[in-house]
Amino acid sequence: MSHASEHVAAPAILKEVNPAHFPRATLVENNRSFGWITDKICGIIEGKTPTWWWVCFILACFVASFTVIGITYLVATGVGVWGHANPVNWAWDIVNFVFWIGIGHAGTLISAILCLLRQKWRTSINRAAEAMTIFAVVCAGIFPVFHVGRVWFAWYLFPIPNSNVIWQNFRSPLEWDVFAVSTYGTVSVLFWYVGLLPDLAILRDRFLAAGNKVRSALYGFFALGWRGSNRHWSNYEMAYLILAGVSTPLVLSVHTIVSFDFAVSLLPGWHTTIFPPYFVAGAIFSGFGMVLTLMLPLRAIYRLEDLITQYHIDCMCKIVLATGTIVGYAYGVEFFIAWYGSNPYEGFAFINRAFGHYAWAYWIMISCNVITPQFFWFKKVRENIWFVWVLSIFVNVGMWFERFVIIVTSLARDFLPSSWGYYSPSIVEIFTFFGTFGVFSVLFLLFIRFLPVMPMAELKAVTPQADPHAGHDHP
Amino acid sequence: MSSTHAATVTGSLPATAPAGIAALATKALTIGAIGIGLTIAGLFVSGGAKVAYSWLVGLTFWTGIAIGMLFLVMIHHIVDASWSTVIRRQFEHGLAAFKWLGLLFIPLVAAALYDKQLVWKWFDPAFDLAKVGGTGTVGEDILWVKKAGLLNPTFFVGATVVSFLIWIWLSARLRKASFTQDFDGDLKWTSHNRTTAAFGLALTALTMTLSIIFWVKSLDYHFFSTMYGVWYFAGCIRAALSAGVIIMVWLYLRGDYKGILNNNHLHSIGQLIFAFTVFWAYITFSQYFLIWNANIPEETFWYSLREINNSDGVPNQWKWVGLFLLFGHFFLPFLTLIHYRVKLSKTWMPRIAFYIAFVFLIDLIYNVWPSKKNELGDPLPFLAVHQLWTITAVIGIGGVCVWAYLKSFPTAKLIPIRDPRINESLTHHE
Repeated sequence: MSHASEHVAAPAILKEVNPAHFPRATLVENNRSFGWITDKICGIIEGKTPTWWWVCFILACFVASFTVIGITYLVATGVGVWGHANPVNWAWDIVNFVFWIGIGHAGTLISAILCLLRQKWRTSINRAAEAMTIFAVVCAGIFPVFHVGRVWFAWYLFPIPNSNVIWQNFRSPLEWDVFAVSTYGTVSVLFWYVGLLPDLAILRDRFLAAGNKVRSALYGFFALGWRGSNRHWSNYEMAYLILAGVSTPLVLSVHTIVSFDFAVSLLPGWHTTIFPPYFVAGAIFSGFGMVLTLMLPLRAIYRLEDLITQYHIDCMCKIVLATGTIVGYAYGVEFFIAWYGSNPYEGFAFINRAFGHYAWAYWIMISCNVITPQFFWFKKVRENIWFVWVLSIFVNVGMWFERFVIIVTSLARDFLPSSWGYYSPSIVEIFTFFGTFGVFSVLFLLFIRFLPVMPMAELKAVTPQADPHAGHDHP
Repeated sequence: MSSTHAATVTGSLPATAPAGIAALATKALTIGAIGIGLTIAGLFVSGGAKVAYSWLVGLTFWTGIAIGMLFLVMIHHIVDASWSTVIRRQFEHGLAAFKWLGLLFIPLVAAALYDKQLVWKWFDPAFDLAKVGGTGTVGEDILWVKKAGLLNPTFFVGATVVSFLIWIWLSARLRKASFTQDFDGDLKWTSHNRTTAAFGLALTALTMTLSIIFWVKSLDYHFFSTMYGVWYFAGCIRAALSAGVIIMVWLYLRGDYKGILNNNHLHSIGQLIFAFTVFWAYITFSQYFLIWNANIPEETFWYSLREINNSDGVPNQWKWVGLFLLFGHFFLPFLTLIHYRVKLSKTWMPRIAFYIAFVFLIDLIYNVWPSKKNELGDPLPFLAVHQLWTITAVIGIGGVCVWAYLKSFPTAKLIPIRDPRINESLTHHE
């Protein structure tokens, strides 16, 4: 390729450039200073524990106890206490696992992918989203571990040589789940922890200045000797970017494998090729739904409006709208191909979903996942915080029902009508699932009480005063 | 919304096209005419059916690039992107090809309607399936009867016409608003294009899915896969991004983009191509893996046909094409583009872009041609005389598309000079 043209003069068109004035939204409002940001975020941890926190924490512990009761009864009695019966031998256990793992995947996905896409608005939500990921994976892990029945043999899931020469079926996506989820959990914790390092050091120094040596030592221990030197920051940025790069394919692969749990089968309603990207889109959808559900109350309680601005809420609502519409596209294509494929069993599975005994679940799913997000087309809706919060809960509900519809309706109507059944959860299953919201809440409450809910250094980097051009266009 | 600068009208279009563009357009049209002429000559060598298949490949290839450009322009608007503003204008010119592609579809559809056994065998329920290794007629085939409400010539023509009308209409809206903003600088055009993009993305996704089902998937009307629309989308975006790289570097080497295009633009578009390389592999692997693993004959036949002959089970040429796609359409671009230096290179990026566009063509050939079978039910070979007409069709249709792009080129400013994000794009950096 010739390089002679490298010396051609710059085109005259550049002299005509005169952009229309349309400033971008500021990510930290009211021109808040760096000091204000530090005080605001650290203040949540340094201040006296508020009464509402104790009320919520006790309530969350109470709710979590339901899981403890459910699991204790299960372990003491056996998995027969769940409502499973032919032909539905897989129901709430896997529904709840996929529900929580979907939310769990979304946190890192939001954080890592938005980081790779250089979306600066992520700074206000990524820390909480990453925390949400880890806590959701904890909740998800409860179900596969305990559904094996004899939980003390759960270690057989791993390929550890044992005296019984029991070896795993490596051709099963369920076994891939074991590796994928455990790897994902590990990387998520690392990703979250690396991001926390500079903030833990700030807390160490502030507690030391305040004379609280115990807490200073604790935060200092976990801050790994962070001093904020140029070398530290350089290594930190590189490590964070690598972890974001590793997390992105990992998170996609994990939810893809979860979709394979179903799609590799021959079962009508499960065996469909669009499952992998459709599950990933659903994970982003439910993840943003959960982030909105958690962050909006947090924003109101701690008066974080300058850090989680209307622009952030707008962005999240639009992503919910986009991913909800993609999920709607997948529902439509599935239904269409069930007809187009002309397999009577496949066709029946979908007609049965929409008009059979579980039609109520199907229409809840459609209403919550396809219709609900369409409200976000309207600016007035996006600006009404209460409305957004309620709609985000609908998204969570809808995504739970999506898994229920896929799993239970496909199993309940077997190939032979003589094998048809109707699944209802037992009280033990209801207790176990209900309690996981308590487990999740306990962990999240501990997170907001003891760890910085937003990355302070990253927030400071997106303030207007951190911009060398001070927000002005530059030629 | 109105701009604070709205009253300022800057610049005017040059009275004549930039140097060499008009001559280049004539050359492109001439090459296109030669390509079309040679393809027509192919009718006397290989017969109408094979030339029709070739023409279909050429159309899906160039329409795919145009659809990809339409998606990219709309995604740019919907996410309020900045760095891609200088590239967007070239994609907008590329959208001018839609109406010509629509016109070039007419001979194929007219031929298929005239001889209903020519391309899509379900056009004629009396089609004797013994000609393709089957038994009975299409009309007696329950798998067609079940979907006859959709797979019929009326619906096919309707869906194709509606799809092209929607793409042409969306393109016209996006182009008009963008070009007009160059003169009045009014922000209402930014808002207008964002609105168009919001509903346009959904409309394009639906019409693209329906079109590729009709045009390609229904060639083997027994086959079904929910992933098919997503597969075509992935290919379209990769090819459109590749076309973007080629245009950018070409304009840079001409001198037009000197001072406009910087290494970071190339790096960013290279990252997008890398991401969509992985996405294409993800989609294609998922489809293959789920069908292979379930091993249901009503699905596996589609891949089996692309690996072994129906009659004797002997591996055919398509097996090697499939393997080439695996290594050539994924591993090679993946391992090349993973290096950041490659993405910064004005020498390497166009080469990679040409290569990706070429393999997109091979992917389409792999999807289209094996559906053309002999009386034993074996697919016609990949390497044969009839593939010449695929090449001439791609050149012929391509010549017209490049001509349409070059004709549009002088009708607007080189870059969107009044776009609110133009300065962010011109100074794009890490």
